Formats: sequence, structure tokens, C-alpha cells
Amino acid sequence: MNENIILLAYIIPLLVGTAFMTKAGDTLGTSLSSRYPSLVHRRRRHLLGLNIVTFVGIAISVHTLWISNKISEGGSVCSSATVFSCDDVLGNASYNVDPIFGISWGLIGMFAFGTFLFFANTVAKEPDARWAARYMKWGFYLTASGLLVIGLLISYEIQMEKICQYCTTAHVANVIAMYGFWKASKMHEAGEWKDEEPASSS
Amino acid sequence: MKENTEADVRTDTAIKILALFFVAIIFLAFTTSPIKTGTKEGERAPPLEGMMYNGSGWTQFNMDDYMTTNWTVGDANGEWLVVEFMDTDCTFCLRDADEFGQVADFFMKISKDTDGTPAWNGPTVNFVASATELNIKGHDSSRAEIISFRDKTGDSSCAGNACSSRQGSAHNFMYVDDIDQENMQEWKIPGTPSYFIIQPDGIVAWVHSEHPQEKVSDGLFRLFDEQGLMPNE
Repeated sequence: MNENIILLAYIIPLLVGTAFMTKAGDTLGTSLSSRYPSLVHRRRRHLLGLNIVTFVGIAISVHTLWISNKISEGGSVCSSATVFSCDDVLGNASYNVDPIFGISWGLIGMFAFGTFLFFANTVAKEPDARWAARYMKWGFYLTASGLLVIGLLISYEIQMEKICQYCTTAHVANVIAMYGFWKASKMHEAGEWKDEEPASSS
Repeated sequence: MKENTEADVRTDTAIKILALFFVAIIFLAFTTSPIKTGTKEGERAPPLEGMMYNGSGWTQFNMDDYMTTNWTVGDANGEWLVVEFMDTDCTFCLRDADEFGQVADFFMKISKDTDGTPAWNGPTVNFVASATELNIKGHDSSRAEIISFRDKTGDSSCAGNACSSRQGSAHNFMYVDDIDQENMQEWKIPGTPSYFIIQPDGIVAWVHSEHPQEKVSDGLFRLFDEQGLMPNE
């Protein structure tokens, strides 16, 4: 199957997750509330969206690691003569591991998004816990520090004059998760956190 | 009875995420067999590319174009590749140039028997020299010097003498311009000359530094013998 079509399997849930965290989520939540009553609450919608985005991040990180491994075997997964060629990026031994420990970027992505998912999931399950606000802040700071890594990886792509679609989708997931953690912190601070409060648009 | 349920939520979530992580690792372990990229035997050879001189002009060279990714051990149809890292001002490279040229002619099937048939009937072996410029005083290379070294023409100087006066005849294999040392650094070459034998699937099969007593030709014969690729078998 065409790898770009497979990529849609990540992009679509990423868009749905993002929608739950934005104004579009209000309409979506209302229309789904008859089937899923909890979605009427803004906080629940937002954290569901954040959970979806971080889960997509883990899944796409696993996929990039799988592609890296397949290329090292000598296979071709998503090679293209165009600028969009993840084989050229993920198969480049000089750039497909971190420059300090030599760990594959895919594995680093798995650890990073696993941590984000832990924060998002625990806060979703226990939103009134004492540590909830702290976890959301940590999530924001970690995803924000991920921007430095994303900048480094984009500089590699510029040097190679190739773009890895899968990596870019993971980078976008990180940016959306950063927004999700920041917004959740703001909602918590603003007191828009209780289930009984009516859903309001952002 | 009062219970601290907060710890349970975090522990429960951590266990679930770790389980997810291990499922992913098991999936990767069962569906892939990654091969490290490097220059040790058994590793995948790093990229080798640049402008190549083959006797008629400078064209783009990419080692991948010479590889057969679906090659399997014992398949006689795959083309092997011998890579030499050299410097036209390196005295050891000049010393080896004659013999290396003869070995290349033999395995590239240029050398003929008296009846006109190729002297070597085994798998085709391509040869490429990556010509660099070592950071040593007096080592000043250029494309003209590479051409002069390969073809034994021109008036360029190699290690203080005319390149055209080096031992042996003109070479018939490709020379890649690596004056900027890009390939050399990619392959982590400590000095010249350095020799590598690459399998048709791009895996490093033999490294001279791991077999200092064995010449390139001996390495090729041994590998072909081990894989049942000798012509008389």
C-alpha cells in the first residue's frame, strides 16, 4: 500500500484530536453527546483530544523506527524522487540517530510521546488531583523543549533537501500536544475545569 | 476506609503505557532485523558518492546504483564492489597502484586468457577508488592530478614525482573525487590506502584492517570460495 495513504491513518485521528481541543470540538462534542454524554464537557473533550494526539505521536514514532529498520535491511519503504522521500531521511545513517548517544529518533519519539501520553492520561483520569496542574505544566515544558529537537531535525532535512512526511507528522503532533498542555493549564487556572460547568467555546 | 487513589491512577496509567511500549518493541523485533551502518564486516556500508572519473569525463557516482538490494548469499549474478580509499600523494598508494590495477583488471574481466575469454569467470567485481587529499604537508590534490594518477598522463606531481611515471599501467576503474574528504569522514578512514569489499547487497564483507595479512585478491577468492561462487565449483 502507498505509504502516503497509510500516513492518512495518522493524519485523520490527529485532526480529530486537534478538533476536540479547538472551537470545532464544541460542535463535534455536542453532536456526539447523545452517544457519549461526557463529551458535552469541555475539559473532557480537550483531554480526549490531547490523549488522541499523544497516542498518534507514539504510533507514528513506532512507524518511523520500523521504516528505519527496514531501510537498514536494504529495503525501500517510501523512496521517492520528489522532495518527499522519507527513505532518504530515515535511511541516512548520519542523521537518523541522535548525535550524542546514537539512539534512533523513532525510539526517542516513542519515549517522548509515551511521557506526554502518561501526563495527558493521568490528568484525564484524575483531573482534580493535586499534581494535575503540575503535570500539565511539565507536559507543556517538555513539548516546548521538543521544538529544539524539531528545529535540529528540520535543519537535517534542509541539508538533505528531502522531507520525511512521517517525521513531519510526528513534529506536528508534538506542536499540537504543546498547545494542548498549554490550553489545559489555562483552563485549569481559569476555573473552566469542572464537569458541572456548561461547555463554553474557547 | 480512606485510600490514596491518586497513586493508583498514575501506577495504572504507567503500567498501561509501558505495556503499549513493549508491544511496540516486540512488534519491531518480530518484523524487522535492523543492520547497523558502519565500516566493520557485517555492517551496511555508508553512502559513497561524488563526481566520478571513468576515463572519459566526470559524472555523478552513487554506490547505491551498483547494489542489488534483494541479493542473497550464493547468488552469482550480483556484482561485488571493491572500494579503495587513497590519496594521489600517498607513497603507499603509489606503491600499491600497480598490483591493485592488475587485480582490478582481473576481477573486472578485462584481463583475457590466450583464447580471448576473460581470465576470471566468477561474479563481476567493480572497483572504485575514492581519491582524497590527506591533511599532510605536501599533499595537494586536484581533479587533474586524479586523472594523471589514473591514466598515467599529464604533468601533475604525485608524492614529488610525475604521476605518469608511477609503477604499473593505466587503471581501468572509477575514481571518485573525495578531495573534500566527505566520503573519507563518512567511512571513518584513519589513513590511506584502505580497502573494503562490499557484497552486492551493500554489506561490508571484508575490511583490510581486519585482515592485515590478506590482500584484496586473497579476500575476494576466500569470500567467493566460502559462498560457493568460485567458477570451477
